Amino acid sequence: MSVWVYGEQKSELGLEGTITRKLEEDLYEVFIGPQHPGSGHMRIIIRIDGDIIVEADPDMGYVHRTMEKLSEGREWIKNVPLFERMAIHDACNVTVSYVMALERILGIEPPPRAKYLRTLLCEINRIAAHLYGFGIFGVFIGHSTMYMWSFADREVMVELAEKLTGARLTHSYPIPGGARRDMPQDFPQAARKAVRYFRRRLDEYRKIFLDNPVTRKRLEGVGIIPKKIAAELGVVGPVARASGIKYDARLAEPYDAYDEVEFEVPVYEEGDALARAWVKFEEIKQSLRIIEQAVDWLEKHPREAPIHERFWAKAPPLWKKVFEAEGRVKLLPLMANLKLPPGRAMARSETARGEIVYYVESDGKTTPYRVRIVSPSARNAIVFKYIAPGYKVMDLPTIYGSIDYFPPEADR
Amino acid sequence: MMAGIIDLILSIIFYPPIYQLVLVGLTGALVVVIFIIWFERKATARVQRRLGPYHISPRLAGLPQLVADLIRYAFQEVIIPKTVDKELFVLAPIVATVLSILPIAVVPLTSNPAYWPIPMDYSMLVALALTTVSPIFLIVAGWASNNKFSIIGGVREAFVITAYELIAIMSILSASAAVLSFNLVDIVEAQRIWYILLNPIAFLAAFLAVLMATSGFPFEIPESENEVVAGPFTEYSGLLYGLNMGAAYMKRFAFSILIALVFLGGWSPFTPGEGILSGYLIPSLIVVAKATILMMIFSLTRSIYGRFRLDQALEGAWRLVFPMAVLGFGLALLEAYLGVM
Repeated sequence: MSVWVYGEQKSELGLEGTITRKLEEDLYEVFIGPQHPGSGHMRIIIRIDGDIIVEADPDMGYVHRTMEKLSEGREWIKNVPLFERMAIHDACNVTVSYVMALERILGIEPPPRAKYLRTLLCEINRIAAHLYGFGIFGVFIGHSTMYMWSFADREVMVELAEKLTGARLTHSYPIPGGARRDMPQDFPQAARKAVRYFRRRLDEYRKIFLDNPVTRKRLEGVGIIPKKIAAELGVVGPVARASGIKYDARLAEPYDAYDEVEFEVPVYEEGDALARAWVKFEEIKQSLRIIEQAVDWLEKHPREAPIHERFWAKAPPLWKKVFEAEGRVKLLPLMANLKLPPGRAMARSETARGEIVYYVESDGKTTPYRVRIVSPSARNAIVFKYIAPGYKVMDLPTIYGSIDYFPPEADR
Repeated sequence: MMAGIIDLILSIIFYPPIYQLVLVGLTGALVVVIFIIWFERKATARVQRRLGPYHISPRLAGLPQLVADLIRYAFQEVIIPKTVDKELFVLAPIVATVLSILPIAVVPLTSNPAYWPIPMDYSMLVALALTTVSPIFLIVAGWASNNKFSIIGGVREAFVITAYELIAIMSILSASAAVLSFNLVDIVEAQRIWYILLNPIAFLAAFLAVLMATSGFPFEIPESENEVVAGPFTEYSGLLYGLNMGAAYMKRFAFSILIALVFLGGWSPFTPGEGILSGYLIPSLIVVAKATILMMIFSLTRSIYGRFRLDQALEGAWRLVFPMAVLGFGLALLEAYLGVM
């Protein structure tokens, strides 16, 4: 297939940019998106032969917000609410590694209580994000009950997060050296109630969705990514784990309290859409386990300020008085103009969709010199191009939903 | 002269196929469809824990919401894009809707010959033939829209038609084989035991075929919004879109009436007598009630299943449901041979 630019050979014009290709005969080109009920904030250009996808071309970038550049003009702490906008329902997971990178530059470790609080919120977020993914997946294959159920049950986790942080979605919870505030007194009961509720509901999810014969027929053997291909494409998160790759940033480089809590990482060998759904389903169960353990730990141990003592020592007297009287902590004023020593650091964490990596460089000012983000959805988007061809047109939503691609996170 | 014209008009209105089409077909179908959409929303909401707009008259259980929706569809601007084939684009949904309730004009709703719309000798064949006319206009609608998604939707519709049509006709015709008559009145009268109990295989095949014919879940494939937006109706808006959506329910109603007659004993507990009340109104109400219950069962599948892939639906239809229909037909022949009915 030769390369054409506006109908002429590319070499004659010498243009490197806008490349168009002449379509082979008998192929039908369909532009799915960006304004399409099945596309999300992106466009997938598919060329189909009959009902078979011959080529799929994901066209990303419709919600690109120049986050990396924007972050260079903001103070260190103000970048936390900015990076949260990548995946607001997964806010703690996507920002905790940024905060960890800052802590590495500062050379501090948060106190254990802050670590457990962050782990707790991370797992609450993971469940909420997986339920979000399940909802979208459900509606993509026409299962409106799954859609409504998971979005309704996500509310339980969102409210739990609200109880912990004060915000439903954009919590801005992790801060350099700790967590923004401690949990309220009645939080453990609420968390245990939510966990009990979810254990019961997950069984119903399995019955109506994962074990539903129609759903199984749609998902089994669709979008198979063999282990070797998965490694070559560099997919991460549940997509990689469904293909038999046991890789999880929580295992590879335990951060926060993950080396102290007990949990398993579900791995499936099949590599198809159904396996990816099962991975997410099992991960919700493991997250429930971690939430229970974290809450137990937090209840057992006496309250301390969930912030590194270096910062806590500089806290105004009122802050300390409130903490002694009520056990509450507010964001410290010194965070606004935090200065980091020159240096560079990398940190990674496991979000619901996979591993997110931050590279942070500081030149000793109150703003970053450079922040580089590699988000999991951006790494998983490659699946569209290399896995979708060969499957039917009606399999495209199945593949899309199963890799749980989230455009705002990929586009940054 | 004047009296002659009035007589002519009256004779047209009281020409049996016309008044049955208007009374049961248009008015009845509209009422039933509104009720079914209401029921579908309520049942789905109960399963899916949806909180609907419950501020709209909780005493009437939100029924005015449907009237509001109806008014919205009726008065919304109808946008006709420049690129479409205008005549066909406008005509296709109208013709499809009218044709989809046409089978009602030829089925008997009573055993009293005074109220038969047409002579009943071959009514089964005529009704079945009329059910096969309307789907072609969905393909026309998709083609006239001149939009890629519409065309893919239209082609899918064509595939689905080829799959369900034979099944629907064979499974419903099995009753004729059992009774050895194409007369729907004979078939209804012959059911001392409802035919659904004598031949559940044929009923199941007919049920699935109707589900496919009317884009019910899990066969909601031509309009599958995640690939083809709204299938053949992508370019439609306002009243024309409402007609398109209504046509599927009208068709389901027509099929349900046919199934109520053939499988569920028609006006069965009641024996029609003389006069308009016991001769026409009560038996026809019984048939419509049975059809409505059937439609309520159809609408429950939405909250249980997702949708099949196109090739899976076709494979299921040809490999599983079609043999089922053949088996049902064979069972009907066996019953005719043994003289069960």
